[in-house]
Amino acid sequence: MNDDDSTPRGRILALGALVLLGGFAVMVLEIVGARYLQPWFGGAFYVWTSQIGMVMLALALGYGVGGHLADRFKKARFLSLLLAPAGVFILLIPQMAPVVLDGIVDRHEKSVEPEAVSTESFITETNLLSEISPDFLEGTATNALPALPPDDAAAPLEIPAVWRKLDPAIGSAVVFLFPCFVLAMIAPFMVRLAARQVEHVGTVSGLVYAASTVGSIAGVFVSAYVLIDVFTTTQIFQLTGGLTLGLGGLCCLIDWQWPEDLQDE
Amino acid sequence: MAGRFTGRIVITVALLFAAVAEGAVRHRSQSAHNQITVEDKGGYRMLRFNGSMETRLLIANPLLGHFEYTDYFQMPLLWNPKPKRVLVMGLGGGSTQRAFQHYFPTVHVDTVELDPTVAKVAKEWFGVKENKTHKIHISDGRGYLRRNKERKYDAIMMDAYSSNTYGSFIPYHLATKEFFQLAAEDLTVNGVLAYNVIGTYNEWRADIVGSMYRTMKTVFPHVYHFPAADSRNIVLVGVKAKTGGLTSATLRARLDLLRRAQPKLPAHFGPRLGRIQANAPLSAAKSPVLTDDHAPISKLLVPAR
Repeated sequence: MNDDDSTPRGRILALGALVLLGGFAVMVLEIVGARYLQPWFGGAFYVWTSQIGMVMLALALGYGVGGHLADRFKKARFLSLLLAPAGVFILLIPQMAPVVLDGIVDRHEKSVEPEAVSTESFITETNLLSEISPDFLEGTATNALPALPPDDAAAPLEIPAVWRKLDPAIGSAVVFLFPCFVLAMIAPFMVRLAARQVEHVGTVSGLVYAASTVGSIAGVFVSAYVLIDVFTTTQIFQLTGGLTLGLGGLCCLIDWQWPEDLQDE
Repeated sequence: MAGRFTGRIVITVALLFAAVAEGAVRHRSQSAHNQITVEDKGGYRMLRFNGSMETRLLIANPLLGHFEYTDYFQMPLLWNPKPKRVLVMGLGGGSTQRAFQHYFPTVHVDTVELDPTVAKVAKEWFGVKENKTHKIHISDGRGYLRRNKERKYDAIMMDAYSSNTYGSFIPYHLATKEFFQLAAEDLTVNGVLAYNVIGTYNEWRADIVGSMYRTMKTVFPHVYHFPAADSRNIVLVGVKAKTGGLTSATLRARLDLLRRAQPKLPAHFGPRLGRIQANAPLSAAKSPVLTDDHAPISKLLVPAR
């Protein structure tokens, strides 16, 4: 029972919960976020691609920067300085994001209509329904089409293909990059706080990865199977924002509850 | 050893025969959105996305052999006997477009289709043509309505689904109150929105039918519906104008007007019109209105009973 060397059990649990819930929150934002973006960018492939890509980018940045900050500041409560604004940011998504997303989508109204695609090049006559007479659409009775009404209204501009792919990525980045970036910092910070001897770094970092990923797995399935059916999107963002603020509070609690760890080095 | 080898040959031959009986796959392509196959079988040509059948036509006469529900997309003409411009969301093999170009050749049809590969296949294999009266716009449906500031439509027909092995699913952002508000803005005064809802009144996917009815009713003063005779589709028709709720007398009068305005009105129009329903489907009572904030579509599609 030499307590000097071993970390208190409560502290380990708190650190573990922090990592687990951080991973959970990131994936709630990813899954619910992709669906949230659908009214602006459609529900297609590229929305999911950009949402996954942008969250991975946020994780990469968060791991990198978070690890560096952990070495520099060492205290869990520093993390709460970042988690607090991230939580507020998530809380404000339902109010603020529509303005920005409207701007991303509506800016194309002023863009130039792309060159009309030559439709003829697609048509290979051999593949057409060659068995039937080619005028079946016009009908046999009246071969001459009646005069067309004047085409007085312009068709809406077609968004260039490159923006159909990139716009959802910009939307994902604007709304989800910052909060996921901050949430990603939790994991390397926890490695720094939990690993007190170099010979245990492997075990500790492995456990942190595992806890974070288990939280993420839960986030994915709970979002898709439960949250989207039971809550409104606004409520889900409020819950996730609240959770993030709570994690910030937990960071302060860890420092306050186990202050001896601060003078550890 | 020889027996096993023979057995293998028998199995191979049997599989080959099975493949032939399944029909001849004429075309296969993979896009960012769909795995597309075109198959000919028993005189029919069929289009499948990810295994789920989207379009069927009789090769000998492409105006026949289509899914009957697409005929109900002609019902908006009751409120607009001489429509100028209509919008169809979802191209597939172009049954709706083909019918409009044949029966109502003066109507300008705009089609919105998400997947450029679908447009290519529809042109190559289903005789869909882009010309003066038909233009295909490659876009998400909601994005198109959002960007459209000038064109007003006499009718909007909704048939945009995402398909997989388990069937076809409504993209939620094309089924909410906010979506219908956007669509109503792009309709003319007497404009009508027709929505193909995959489901039934009583059991299979009844909740989504009820939800769609209630959601459309928040925007359109009158909503009627037509249950397809040969498939599990119900076409909901939302009328933008407040006045002019249908009675048997006014319905008959409208049909007479339409017959005069459209001499080529297809013979099936009358019988199809006879399937009209004006009362709320029973499932509407316990199904939620769908909004952008809360559209539990996947929950509605899972049978609760």
